[in-house]
Amino acid sequence: MTWSEEDIIKAVTENFKELVTESKVLKPKRISITVKPDGLVSVATFLRDSLGFDHPLGAGAIDYPAENKMQMVYYLWSVSKRTIVMLKADTPRDNPKLPTLSGVWDQMNLHEREAWEMFGIVFEGHPKLERLLLPEDWEEGVYPLRKDYKLPER
Amino acid sequence: MMSETKGIMRISWGPQHPMSGQFRFILETDGENVYEIIPDFGFTHRGIEKILEYRTFVQGIVPFERLAMVDAANVGLAYVRAIEDAANIEVPKRAQYIRTILCEISRINSHLYAIGLAAEAAGGYPAIFLWTTADRELFLDLAEMLTGARWSYSFFIPGGVRADIPEGFKEKALKVLSYFEKRLIAYRDSWLENEIWLTRSKGIGKLSTEDAIKLGAAGPSLRGSGVELDMRKEDKYEAYGEIDFRMAVQKEGDCQARFMVRFLEMIESTRIIKQALENMPPGPFKKPVPPKLPKGEGFARVETARGEMDVHVILDGSDKPYRVKVCAPSFRNLYVISKLPKLTKILVADVPVVVWSFDPWYLDADR
Repeated sequence: MTWSEEDIIKAVTENFKELVTESKVLKPKRISITVKPDGLVSVATFLRDSLGFDHPLGAGAIDYPAENKMQMVYYLWSVSKRTIVMLKADTPRDNPKLPTLSGVWDQMNLHEREAWEMFGIVFEGHPKLERLLLPEDWEEGVYPLRKDYKLPER
Repeated sequence: MMSETKGIMRISWGPQHPMSGQFRFILETDGENVYEIIPDFGFTHRGIEKILEYRTFVQGIVPFERLAMVDAANVGLAYVRAIEDAANIEVPKRAQYIRTILCEISRINSHLYAIGLAAEAAGGYPAIFLWTTADRELFLDLAEMLTGARWSYSFFIPGGVRADIPEGFKEKALKVLSYFEKRLIAYRDSWLENEIWLTRSKGIGKLSTEDAIKLGAAGPSLRGSGVELDMRKEDKYEAYGEIDFRMAVQKEGDCQARFMVRFLEMIESTRIIKQALENMPPGPFKKPVPPKLPKGEGFARVETARGEMDVHVILDGSDKPYRVKVCAPSFRNLYVISKLPKLTKILVADVPVVVWSFDPWYLDADR
């Protein structure tokens, strides 16, 4: 059976009715699924085990100060479905906190460390939330990829 | 196993350049055996994702290419395509063909560099590095004729390319390609099938198909482990859908297989350039794009020489991107390298060959 984009969305929304807040087909072979933070791990595990999204591509955050939220985006690909899934989760900007997905896709370990130091999102249950790219003498609590951080020379 | 042995020694490999690049690996070793390869990211972090938020779309192409200068065309294309995807900009046919040609020139450049470095890492092969450098010169000349620059082209802009194919380019390119085809045979005979290289690379650093998928390897490292994934075939972007070429895939998953993929890709690249030159459609090579683009979200996947680069852009209606997220192939490949000692036996002497068989470009990993 070949899976269309709608089939994948249907499989996820049917199994996690309360947890999925938004799902849409962005372009052919590209899906966006937004879930509540509580549902992140269970939806991710379902995507990996039942739908075959076993090839992680990366993850990164987006800062929306106007809406007082931050969005974490996980980029996933599947060898069998040949489709990209952007798994998104929103978290309030004043207390950004999400469960870690490093237990689902081990590679997310590094991407979440990067999102933590660049945006200040705390990943609960992360095995090693330490600096990755920033220098050791970087000031604590300054998150350079947030929108309110201005480059010093600008 | 580790707890039983007393003599675990930590070796810092890098960040000065003992065949490691501007990067540090921490090796945990016991005698000749390597138990851990811990990558230490960040020595070349420049904050490119933040810098892009301060640049207009066209200005941003220049810093973006600094992610991987050796493969500037493919990397720059990833950013340009993401912007075009967000604003639904169609590119003229002729521009697509010109882009394809420069991308393949860039890929050959990059693969030649990778082969030269790996031959050095394997020991006793400075001659191959000199060969690849000399042959790369011809392709740098071709790129210079087309774009005016030998390294950082900044040639692709949203809506097309900066300039048309110059007069005499086709003849010169065909001459270079027919010379290069002979050189490829020389590389095969004196390097790929050479016993010293085979001893250093065959069966070393094995990565199985399942692990390559699960860990998220990219590009030749993924295809060297038997996974059929090439963005040029998968998304058929630019002119790749209309050009006949094969995807290079090897089953073995060792260092030799990863380089075999690069070698086969160079053969395919020569075929792609020839076909693109032959079938070049007439017409405009760019179309005007307004400086301010509407609100939206764009995503592009481009097969760079190191693998799939994913760029996610968020536009907010101004002339600058709101946010650019780059999922870089080298970042993922470095992560795969760090997991390798758990999967296969690696000796200290193998480390340079194993690392360079993944061809990491630390600047795009650190961004």
